[in-house]
Amino acid sequence: MVKSTYQPSPAAAIPPLPPGWTEHKAPTGHTYYYNAETKQSTYKRPGAVPPPRPATPPIAAPVAAPVAAPFPVAVPPALSATVPIHPAMTGYPQPSIAPHLNLSDPNVANAFMAQFNQSQHQGQRGGFGAGGRGGALSRPRPQPVDKPRSKIAIPGCDPWILVYTKYGRRFVYNPVKNASYWRIPEKLMPAILELDKARIRQKAEGKTAAEDGSQSPTAETVAAADATPGTARAPEEQEQQPAQPTHDYDSSEYEEVEVTDDEGDNLDADVEGHARKRQRTEEPRADTGPAEFTEADIEAQLAAMSAEYGEDVEMGEGGWEEGDEGLPLSEEDARELFKDLLNDFNINPYSPWEKLLEEGKVFDDARYTVLPTTKARREVWEEWSKAKIQELKERRAREEKKDPRIPYMAFLQEKATPKLYWPEFRRKYRKEELMRDTKLTDKDREKWYREHINRLKLPQATLKSDLKKLLESVPLSALNHRTMVSHLPPQVLADIRYISLEPKIRDPFIEAYIQELGPPPEGGDAAQQEDEAARKAREERCRRQKALEERERAVAEEKRRQEKRMQYERARLREEEREIERAMHVGKKGLQTQLTGAMPAQTNSDKP
Amino acid sequence: MPAIRPASKRKPPPDGFSDIEEDLLIFANKMKDAQNTPTDNVPKHQAQWPIFQIAHQRSRYVYELYYEKEAISRQLYEWLLKNGYADAMLIAKWKKQGYEKLCCLRCIQTKETNFNSTCVCRVPRAQLKEDQDVQCVNCGCRGCASTD
Repeated sequence: MVKSTYQPSPAAAIPPLPPGWTEHKAPTGHTYYYNAETKQSTYKRPGAVPPPRPATPPIAAPVAAPVAAPFPVAVPPALSATVPIHPAMTGYPQPSIAPHLNLSDPNVANAFMAQFNQSQHQGQRGGFGAGGRGGALSRPRPQPVDKPRSKIAIPGCDPWILVYTKYGRRFVYNPVKNASYWRIPEKLMPAILELDKARIRQKAEGKTAAEDGSQSPTAETVAAADATPGTARAPEEQEQQPAQPTHDYDSSEYEEVEVTDDEGDNLDADVEGHARKRQRTEEPRADTGPAEFTEADIEAQLAAMSAEYGEDVEMGEGGWEEGDEGLPLSEEDARELFKDLLNDFNINPYSPWEKLLEEGKVFDDARYTVLPTTKARREVWEEWSKAKIQELKERRAREEKKDPRIPYMAFLQEKATPKLYWPEFRRKYRKEELMRDTKLTDKDREKWYREHINRLKLPQATLKSDLKKLLESVPLSALNHRTMVSHLPPQVLADIRYISLEPKIRDPFIEAYIQELGPPPEGGDAAQQEDEAARKAREERCRRQKALEERERAVAEEKRRQEKRMQYERARLREEEREIERAMHVGKKGLQTQLTGAMPAQTNSDKP
Repeated sequence: MPAIRPASKRKPPPDGFSDIEEDLLIFANKMKDAQNTPTDNVPKHQAQWPIFQIAHQRSRYVYELYYEKEAISRQLYEWLLKNGYADAMLIAKWKKQGYEKLCCLRCIQTKETNFNSTCVCRVPRAQLKEDQDVQCVNCGCRGCASTD
């Protein structure tokens, strides 16, 4: 379905012409093409791919020529996407195709039979098999355009870049030579394999990091964002990557499988083999015509893909719906999963619900769909934000109040000089966050500035004795011989006497003072209890994650089984149709043939 | 009118304001945008709908923070009301039974209507005709009865 830029090698079969175009020979011997409707003629072969055609065999009926070209087993992607090749559509009589086909090749025979049967059935039964897709045959299919999405430099192979497209395909690109290849050249293969391994490893690590609930917000969001599309695609890609290096240049399977427009899909019996590869090609197909096909649809489909396989046309006419989940997850787990999602995306619990929806960050996550309705989500969100705010409050109450004076004092020590008066100083640094902090008043700032400047003029000995006095005023529980110079108690840091001395002199002085102090008075530690709680929460979370994965796998399994069953049913139905047809066919001998056919069966059944 | 003091000399807002400052700023920007949008091609009665809606949303935000999530302190809540971040009169109505979702004060002002009735958006969905799509004249509300 996806349009590919890959050009088949000349060895591959020549694609047939789009309808309306005919092939002719000029008196000079050149082949040219003519469109009777638009009255256009061109030397270039119409239909995206202009392959070099050195010698066209002379053909008696030029009109039939395009169709008569050897039927390609694997239709080149670009063409098949734009032009659904179908006998019923081209309007040529069936027999004109048949003789030219190389039916000895089983693949060709299968493909041909599939199309042949389909057209017959449609003619007689008003398009039974094609139900939802009837429209798609008569008009060109909508084609979503694949776009490059991200690129990675391939380490070790300098100018080469690995580019990922919107639909998860990838190609290598050399900006120096301005060349790009779908098929990865042999020399880049090891480097790309390394890259894939690294990425998978990183993904795994990112997931565990997210589960640990580490507090660094950026890392967590990145990990979460990374894991989101990855969860659905990871197994698929891992499967695919080892397979790639084995492709040699001639076997065009990799491209074709991905981009072929599966015309004979309904009738193809060996679906199981392709099931995995199809899921990608199927995503935009669930829509029936170009009229309904919009960007939003593609997005919806992609969102659906992240949770499960794309639905078959007959199954999901309306595409993917909310709550169309298959196996139910327990209510409690679903709620908890949704809360995990909110945690992972670092949603601000103070923000309104509308903001969450407007930003739309969370929509792509599989966990967003565990709850069936937006109302339910909102309920859970309310519960979550309430709890979260409470937790934040408690945490804030626990941790000591940060004195706003401390950063200001540090700033003064760094920037204040006797050369600047206060108004000058204020004007110079008015853009600083510190100077605009509402916790401190301007009056206080001015007072401290002046005091600090005045103290700078005092002799060193006075400053030292002042600092000593300050340190002595701090109780032993706050300042003892275990205290580090970098972690002094706030009452020291916020004092004007602390910043009067230069750090070069001050720090050794304080260190020496601390050395002389005694040990801290005895106190209990409540840290271990907290650790216990955190560990329990983490385990719980792990379990929920596993449950979600389990469920997704089960859903996928169910889907696949249903698909298989449907294929089987279809095949049987077809068989029956054919049988009925055979029975309906009354030859010259009339009923006699039917009776002779039926008689033995009847006698057999009568005997025992 | 009292002089407006510079930011550096104003009293700082109560604790917890920094948590919601960002969201309030978003609302403020939305409101500014709505105010500055030209209303040339808009019917006269619709010109102020976005203003009403944003005011409602912001009031609702503050209301929920204080009464439902209990996320902000009483001091901060009162400070917000005093500084016009939320409509105290509207919030006062939300606390009354039957007015939990009220869209705006004009919609319950019976004296302004011909038959001393409330706005059509106050009528419960169940009492409206099937598929009747209402949007009230005052604020563009599509229905704010408590039973909806």
